[in-house]
Parts: sequence; C-alpha cells; structure tokens
Amino acid sequence: MLVKFRRFPRAFDMPLRFLLILGLALVMAVRAHAQMTIEIVGGATNRVPLAILPFTGAPLGVLDPAAVVAANLGRSGHFNLIGDRGEVSPPDPGQVSLATWKGRGADAVLSGQLRTLADGRLEVRFWLLDTLRQQPLLALAYTTTPGGLRAVAHRISDAVHEKLLGEPGSYSGRIAYILKRGGRYELQVADADSENPLTILASPEPIISPAWSPDGKRLAYVSFEDRKPVVYVQNLADGSRRAVSRFRGSNSAPAWSPDGRKLAVTLSRDATAQIYLLDLETGETVRFTRGGSIDTEARFSPDGRWLYFTSDRGGTPQIYRAPVDGGEASRVTFEGSYNVSPALSPDGSRMAFVHRRDGRFHIAVMDLATRQMRVLTDTAADESPSFAPNGRMILYATLINGRGVLATVSIDGRIRQRLSQSGDLREPAWAP
Amino acid sequence: MKPLLMTVLLASLLVGCADKPVREASIEDRMMASGDAGTQTAAPATPPTSRTPPGAVAQPATAAQVDASALPGEAARTPAPATAVQTRGIDATAPEVQTIAPAATDTPGVSTVRLDPRDPAGPLAQRRIHFDFDSAAIRDEYRALLEAHANYLKQEPNAAVVLHGHTDERGSREYNLALGQRRAESVLRALNLLGVAENRMEAVSFGEEKPLVEGQNELAWSQNRRTEIHYVGE
Repeated sequence: MLVKFRRFPRAFDMPLRFLLILGLALVMAVRAHAQMTIEIVGGATNRVPLAILPFTGAPLGVLDPAAVVAANLGRSGHFNLIGDRGEVSPPDPGQVSLATWKGRGADAVLSGQLRTLADGRLEVRFWLLDTLRQQPLLALAYTTTPGGLRAVAHRISDAVHEKLLGEPGSYSGRIAYILKRGGRYELQVADADSENPLTILASPEPIISPAWSPDGKRLAYVSFEDRKPVVYVQNLADGSRRAVSRFRGSNSAPAWSPDGRKLAVTLSRDATAQIYLLDLETGETVRFTRGGSIDTEARFSPDGRWLYFTSDRGGTPQIYRAPVDGGEASRVTFEGSYNVSPALSPDGSRMAFVHRRDGRFHIAVMDLATRQMRVLTDTAADESPSFAPNGRMILYATLINGRGVLATVSIDGRIRQRLSQSGDLREPAWAP
Repeated sequence: MKPLLMTVLLASLLVGCADKPVREASIEDRMMASGDAGTQTAAPATPPTSRTPPGAVAQPATAAQVDASALPGEAARTPAPATAVQTRGIDATAPEVQTIAPAATDTPGVSTVRLDPRDPAGPLAQRRIHFDFDSAAIRDEYRALLEAHANYLKQEPNAAVVLHGHTDERGSREYNLALGQRRAESVLRALNLLGVAENRMEAVSFGEEKPLVEGQNELAWSQNRRTEIHYVGE
C-alpha cells in the first residue's frame, strides 16, 4: 500500500504532508489529549486541484476552519491541494487572483472569513471560486460558537466535496468504536475524522458490536460486564441505558430495524445461536431463524424488507438473506469458504462483508444487483465493515503490527486511510 | 460390582457412541473438504471419519448404534482410535443417549470423598477443556475432568456451573461468539450425559474476547480455544 503512496506526484506529496502536519499541530494545540493519527495509503487517479486559503478574522486562539477543511479534503484522496505560499483569504472574495491560481494549476480556490457577532458568536462565510470560469461556485455562511467551528468545517468540507465531485462527502458524520487500553474497554463516539472523542461507556470487561439507531440518538452494544454477553441500548443525550436482552445463555449481535422500533439479536436461549426480533417497547421476542446451525450477525436492508445474516447452515459460514415478514432464506455469497459480517449501503445497492482468502480476512464489497464481488483490502485481519452515510466509503477494523487500528476504504478500493491511537481500536460503526 | 459397572458405563458413554456422525465431527470434515489453503494447514490432522453433506444439520444417531454402544461388553470389545473419540458421546440431540443418563445418576457410591472445587490441588481445579481448530468436539483426554465435575455436581445439589466458551482471535467477533457458544454447549451436553441436570448449568460465550494467551500463532490459538467451568458464587 505504501507503494501507492510513493506513486503520488511530488507536487502533491509535499503540500499535503505540510498541511497535514499543520492541521495536526493545530489540533494538538487545541486538544492536547486527542492522540489519534491518520495515515493515507492510496488515492483517486483523478484528483481535483484545489487551493484552500486560511480564513481571515479568526480571533486569537480560535481554530481556523480552513485547516480542518484542508485536512479533511487532503486525506480524502479526491483532491490535490495546491501549495501554501503564505496567502490568506482577502476580506473580499473578489480580490482573490483567480488567474494566478489558475496558473499554479488550481481548478478552484476556497476563501473564507470569520466575524465575531455582537452576542459573542461567530459567523463563518466561505466562497468556492472557479478559476477556469472566473466565477463563484458556492457561497455559504454559518453562525456558531467557537466550540462549533469544527462541525462547521466538516459542513464546509461536505459542501465543497459535493460541489466539485458531484457526490456527497462524509466528513460531518460520527463514528463509534471500542478502544482497549490498559485492560479497560471504552466505547467511544467521535467525529468522522476521529476528533472530539467521547467515552460513553468504560468497563473492565469487553464491549463489542456497537450499532447506531437509525436516528443516531442511541447505541446498542454487547457488554460482558455481567460475565456473559448482554445487549444494552444507551441514550447518547443523557447516557442512560437499559439491558434490553439478558436471556439465559448468550445475547449478542444487535441490529436496528429501519423504524428504530426493533432490534434483531442473536440468542442462545433455545439453540446455539439463532436470530430473534426484539420489540424494544414491549420486550417481546419473535424467533426469526430455526435449525441446528449458527445464525448470527443480522442486518436489516434499508427498506426494512430483508434480513441479511451469517449462517453455517451450508457447512461453512456464508451470508444469507430472508424476508423479514417470513419466507425462505437464500444464499448471497458463494465464493470462498468464509464470508461473514454483512453491512448494507444506505441505498441498499451494495453489501460489504469479510471474506477469507488463503487464510487472510479481507473486506469485500458486492453489487447486490449483479452479485459481483470485489476484494478491497490486502491486510490480513479485517473485521466489522460499515458504510459511510454517503455510501462511498467503508469503515472497518484491522491489525497493523499486532495492534488494532481503524481504516477506511473507498468502494472502488482506491482510497484508504488508517486511524490509529495508543491502545487497540476495534469494532467501528459509522453513524447513519 | 456396582461401582465397576458404573465406571464401565461412563467409559462406554464417552467412548461408545463412536460411529455416530455427530455435528461436531461434521464441522471438521467440511473444513477439511472445502477450506482454503490457510485453513487446511491450521486444521487438525485428524482424518475425516465421516462425511456430512453440506446443509445437513446435527445428525442423530440411529437407535441401533446407540443401543450397541450402551452395552458395556460391546464398548470394551471395540476400543476406538483416540482421535475418533472426539466425535463421540456428546451428542445430546440423540434422545436415546439421554435415557442412559438417569441410570448413571441412580448409581450410588461413585465417590465417597468430599471434594472442594476451590481446592487448588484437587481434581476440580482442572477447569479447562481445549478444542481443535473449528471444532466443538470434546477430546478423550478430558473424560476424567468431566467425570470429576459431574460427580461433584451430583453430590452437591446446590452447586451450579456456568460454562464459558472461548475461541481464537481469527475472524468475525460475533461469529466467534457463536462458535464459543457451541463449545460451551458441547461441555454442557457432556455433563448432562454424565447425569448433571440442565437447569444447574448455563452455557455462555466470550468468543475471542478473553484470550488465555496473547499472540498470533497456533500455540496461542490452541490455548485460547477452550471452555472453562465456573462454579456459581465463586
């Protein structure tokens, strides 16, 4: 993968590295305890050359959103950031010399400014300018508190990404994951760029399988704090939580129905591992699969009509799907002897999963219409795929030098990033 | 005479059901047959004794086979190879086998020594049953261990156990949780066959979450594939 990195043109290499270092330095200055580092291991073949000018008017000690936007877009693999020569955004976007930037190879320039309002809040304005047609492509303004500047920067990143590439970005989202350090397990929620991490549950016992509710307000997960796997649902707003599935035996693999009213769970109550539909209001369970085989890792299709799941009913673990309203299960994966952990894209057109090949576990993606599959990664211990809200990226966990890291890969396999931190990262889930 | 008969009966339970193609055995067979290269090198060198077609679920033994294995004389005459023992005696899905269990419970005088599971030097300190790759079959070497715990549980009506199933770290955490559950239930069924009532046991799984040994090698993995017996209240 590093080979791909070396193939990048030098012109791209230096400014991006510089901006990343600059971005990280700023981040460290603001939040000394955020220790996550991001490494890029691949990129798109056609990158949009873009210049991002530092925003003017930021009060001293306040984060410049432009630095966050540059870090976001730079590491996305879709943009070639054109050099920093000390220029900052002029007070009037009309003063940006588009001809000069065109001469330096930039197709577009991002310029912006901050203004302190009477009530102490900040107004952020930005302009995305087209150097070829010499005209603005986009101009937007946000009002926020200093604490919200990072969120605004992610919104700007999404807007610029969509304007220049014609498809939505996924910079504003949140991710949940488990951090294991010093024998403790922490369930954390962070921004998609892994900033602003918040521990929402810490336990001396393992936590696995975090699953976002469709509205992004609750997380279901499996905790072993009772010396057995029990499924909990936790409210993000107030931290309150409830054991929703604590039946005899093991309780695991929660997955939300699209209406947020039910959880599919795996229980060993009646047989080794069977899937049940749990009504969160009444607590009633309805058994969904039957037989002596293992059935687990259920996922609802976004339209709520299908349940995808892992089963070894055919002798090896493979992914099947069955109508939620009842009916026969049909097999979805056929290539290889180990295909597990299905994840559906938000539009329901693709499925990401873990595929074993030559004893190594990779992330693969399948076009559900054509049933064509494609292996996206070359690491050996990939787990827990989930799609970004824009459906273009897949977040997963892997091992690098024996340590758990999070990684993303674009659905064409070209763009990859890794997030690492002191401690083991695992079980990531991208919020809807 | 009675204790002797009892011992032979127990032995025949574990050794006897040799010819049954049970689910545990078929897991290995499938892996050997359809696993990729990496799997095969890690798989146990046990030759498949029976082939179960894909899609087959737990295959109950035929009544005739179980009847034969239940006869002490028959069992003594046919000592099966040690590797084949893995596939035996644990199949609680065969209702015929369960009818043998009460007979064992009724037999008095199995042990007159009072054992304490907390005694680190006692036989009940042995709490771990290890498993082959991708298998939930109990190996023959654990017969004495299981008998000791079964006898204690039968002596002490208030004792109860939780069986913790574990796997190695490879593959999906949730799928491993299910595989660990299968290993815990395999031990539960073995103890049940030895006369311990099901309502005094709970089988749960920790999947790959609680490795005994850290490390990405077969030595660590083989140590981590296990079921642990935990007494409630310990």
